[in-house]
Amino acid sequence: MMKKQLFLLLTAVLMCLPMFAGPKNKAKKDTEHFRYELECAGNGTQGTYLIKVWSYSKNKNVATEQCKKNAVHGVIFKGFTGGEGCVGQRALVSRAGAEVEYKEYFDLFFSDKGEYYKYVSVTSSASEIIKVGKEYKVGMIVSIQKDELRKALEQAGVVRGLNSGF
Amino acid sequence: MKRIVFIVACMAVCLSAFSQAKKPTLMVVPSDVWCNNNGYVQIFNNQGMEQTVSDYQQALQKDMDLKLAIAKINDLMAERGFPLKDLEQQLKLVQQQNAESNLVTSKNGNEMAESPIDRLLRVAKADIIIELTWNVTEQGPKRTLTYIMEGKDSYTGKSIGGANGTSQPSFSADVAVLLEEAVVANIDNFNNRLQAHFDDLFANGREVTLDIRVFDNNAADIDLESEFDGSELGEIIDEWLAENTVEGRFSKLGSSENYVSYEQVRIPLFNAKGNAMDTETWARQLRKFLTKEPYNIPVKVMNRGLGKCILVLGEK
Repeated sequence: MMKKQLFLLLTAVLMCLPMFAGPKNKAKKDTEHFRYELECAGNGTQGTYLIKVWSYSKNKNVATEQCKKNAVHGVIFKGFTGGEGCVGQRALVSRAGAEVEYKEYFDLFFSDKGEYYKYVSVTSSASEIIKVGKEYKVGMIVSIQKDELRKALEQAGVVRGLNSGF
Repeated sequence: MKRIVFIVACMAVCLSAFSQAKKPTLMVVPSDVWCNNNGYVQIFNNQGMEQTVSDYQQALQKDMDLKLAIAKINDLMAERGFPLKDLEQQLKLVQQQNAESNLVTSKNGNEMAESPIDRLLRVAKADIIIELTWNVTEQGPKRTLTYIMEGKDSYTGKSIGGANGTSQPSFSADVAVLLEEAVVANIDNFNNRLQAHFDDLFANGREVTLDIRVFDNNAADIDLESEFDGSELGEIIDEWLAENTVEGRFSKLGSSENYVSYEQVRIPLFNAKGNAMDTETWARQLRKFLTKEPYNIPVKVMNRGLGKCILVLGEK
């Protein structure tokens, strides 16, 4: 009888554990495939890109939190299109397969509060939230310190500097 | 003996690994269209034909926006670790060199040796020229700036890439602000193209041009149709190029008994010793080949920069 109660209690505790895992883990799960969209939000000041990033999640708070991470990921691997006077930019890493080749580096870089955090700042606290089916699409305007970001990638050997080899 | 060969081979490999390829120089100049539109040109009468030449000196002395655009590009490129040649400084340097060559004499009163070709070549130049054009369109109170930045290889004439665009219409910003914004927004796209050009250079060798000519009535009495062991000199040179270019890549633009012009010649960045090589160093290997038996042809080498060389056969 005692054993049965102990077993039930243990099962209940184990079932409740994911509920206390917090939004960070939820965010990690929702954004591990880096599902997002980028668009040019204006020509940034020297050394920065000003972009609008749209992230998806079933929890709107989670999507907001992950917008910064997605924006840095996008600038590194995807680039973004321009329009109406806003100049689109290519990805900082143009070499195919670099994300897999430097997986260890990028796993650490994009970990929660990882190095990516140094290169992104939210320009406005206001965000756009759209309900799309069962999930939320959250849009935010962020500024990326692209010059500093490129320097970090050059130092890590992920991208070549303009003068490397000369 | 084997050990010595192994050590020497290892040293050669290490040397080439630490060698740096010859760095091309870049310089920003206003485009001919911009100079023409803004009146910074000189008009010459060339044997009855009116010829218009861009006057960079005048443009730099009078146009503040041009100076700002060049300074901004120089600043941004230096930030990327690739400082550019400054057009204004280059023009001043040429003027100073001209003045010096006119004034300097030896203790015996002899002037410095200088041929007309030396004077012709003493101009502001760079391996890659970045041409800059912009135009401001006004629609009522609104101003829009259209901007073109294009990199060109000075020797092959090929476009390396560029960046262009039109700014958002502005009611308040003046030309200088719009121009600075355009430069800052477009420089990364330009640098991406430049990086792709450099990546191609490291992967496939430096693309250069080679011209071979023959001195008229030369003492060696040869031309490009002279035969050696049944092969014409032109064919022998073709074979040398096939063996001494990266994957035998070159194209022949045109040829006769007096000249042959090669383009898209891909030369290795380093020689067998692992030292960085430019077109002159590479062409001197061909000169050595032609001066040896059985050809014994005297060859004059005329260097025209990192990516172009002229060989003149028959005399020095």
